[in-house]
Amino acid sequence: MTGSRKSLVLALAALAVLAILPFVIGNYWLRVLTSVFMVGVVAQGLNVIVGFAGYHAFGNSAFFGVGAYVVAVTLNAGWPLPLAFVAAGLASAVVAGVFGWPLLRLRGHYFAIASVALNMAFIEVILNLGGVTGGAQGLPLPISPMAPDLLYRIIYFLMLGALVAATAVVWVLSQSRLGYALRALKDSESGAEVMGVDTVRAKITAWAISAAMTGTVGGIWAYWITFIEVSSAFDIGISMRAYIMMLLGGIGTVFGPVAGAFLFQIVATMIWAEFTHIHNLLLGVFLVAVVMLVPNGVLPLLSRAGWRAASARLGGASTRLSHRLFAREER
Amino acid sequence: MFLQTIVNGLLMGGVYGLATIGFSVVWGVMGIINLAHGAYVMIGAYVAYVLNQWLGLDPFLAMAGAMPVLFVIGYVLQVALLNPVMRTSLLLTLVVTFGIDLILIDTFVQIFSSDVRGVQTAYSGRSLALGPVLIPYVRLAAAVLSVAVATAAYLFLNRTRTGQAILATALDREAARLMGIVPERIYGLTGGLSAAVTGAAGCLASTLFPISPTLGLTFLGAVFVITVLGGIGSVPGVILAGFAYALVQAFASTYLGANYQEIVAFSMFLVVLIVRPQGLFGKRFYGEAAS
Repeated sequence: MTGSRKSLVLALAALAVLAILPFVIGNYWLRVLTSVFMVGVVAQGLNVIVGFAGYHAFGNSAFFGVGAYVVAVTLNAGWPLPLAFVAAGLASAVVAGVFGWPLLRLRGHYFAIASVALNMAFIEVILNLGGVTGGAQGLPLPISPMAPDLLYRIIYFLMLGALVAATAVVWVLSQSRLGYALRALKDSESGAEVMGVDTVRAKITAWAISAAMTGTVGGIWAYWITFIEVSSAFDIGISMRAYIMMLLGGIGTVFGPVAGAFLFQIVATMIWAEFTHIHNLLLGVFLVAVVMLVPNGVLPLLSRAGWRAASARLGGASTRLSHRLFAREER
Repeated sequence: MFLQTIVNGLLMGGVYGLATIGFSVVWGVMGIINLAHGAYVMIGAYVAYVLNQWLGLDPFLAMAGAMPVLFVIGYVLQVALLNPVMRTSLLLTLVVTFGIDLILIDTFVQIFSSDVRGVQTAYSGRSLALGPVLIPYVRLAAAVLSVAVATAAYLFLNRTRTGQAILATALDREAARLMGIVPERIYGLTGGLSAAVTGAAGCLASTLFPISPTLGLTFLGAVFVITVLGGIGSVPGVILAGFAYALVQAFASTYLGANYQEIVAFSMFLVVLIVRPQGLFGKRFYGEAAS
């Protein structure tokens, strides 16, 4: 069985388990898993712009907030729910397109802080707009008439669906012309240009895709928690955590960010449940520790350990093979 | 009204500029975007607050206490956490500095709680009246001191052997090594000195802003704008940009309303990034070369 077939089978099996789980587990773990899917989508969104195109969009949380506010405002205006979610994704993509046109011309550090500034600018704009956005008071959403148990399970499947869709998009992207163009411009922008890649269009498309994913789950999140304010919707910690998940799982891979999201969120939930008052301090320590100890991600580390164990058991031919693989990896 | 607006802007500009010097130099010399920079301002303000509460020390004199404290923090963080990752990728340095920021802020929340505090001096609330224009003594002192500290930082970088070594390392790390400079030591020193200057700005800020563990966040936005406006790594550029930024904010606040000053500042930031990303005084992509 080839590697991609194998991971596809694994993914389908995991999906089947995740589809049954909400009927078995209690509301606590339901909430934990729902948030895992949510941050998984944010991590995939970041993966598109950072992992493929190499642009460090630290302020990608801006789109999470835009999506949340679009859903809140449209639902309050009486729009049907599915339309509100679509509007959240589209609006975020449009914002990314409009701001991406000037901002994506900046490279490296400049783009990173410009995207952070974009996020901060949204906070200020919404604080000052007031009116339909609620300004500094925050914005309540209409409460669903559904029974909570049912509603939370629907939201679980919405988030799971979003994660599957986002991962599928990343998989398609990794095989597509655009995906190759993005990886080319990540290595060398002028080189890609010479080879006939329309780099400006490729970058803007990538950011718009990234924004649409992030904005859609931002919208679902707003519907989930029924009250949003700028400090929670435009929390830069959202993109920061997504960065760590991407780091843990492996940047620029299809399943890495998803694996990273599971690992991070579940470990985090278990630890933070005990220490809610120093939550941020532990998150900070965790961020620093990950970068210091496993900067290439946990998955490559695990697979390498797996190889070592396997070659130790089989010896001979497979050891030589694994040596050759390591040599390639390390080069 | 017009004159008062100009005076308000000029009085605040110095503090903004001083708070930015460290960030700009760290970016210029080491290619690090230090997201924990705001926390240094906050720590400086708390040192001033504590010395003021315990010893009744004037917050401006507290600079003498805050600068060594911040130097040690900046030096240790640079050597222990940033030196190993700074030459790998932008991504890792951003994540590490954000992590440090969370740790520092939450530590201060644990010690001092999230309550808002302030320092009082005998002369707070008193102003010098020059015709129709009012100049609060506190702001005047903060402005003068910030320009003084900034000048000292500039002279240190340009007139001392150590300062020259820092600039040389920024320009060409390998050549600097051949001249007998140890880059790792210079990076630690740069991190420490930048934090110290920022801590001085924090003491000044303690007299002008309410003190809370998230004080730095309000500064970080301004620091981004001023760094880019002034040109990466340029001390005089940063000081002038600090005044420009504060003047724009003062005018926005007087003529459009206080709500709009942040929006105007961010618009300015975006325009500068697009039109002149090397800043008003910077050389093109100085920071990129260092990273």
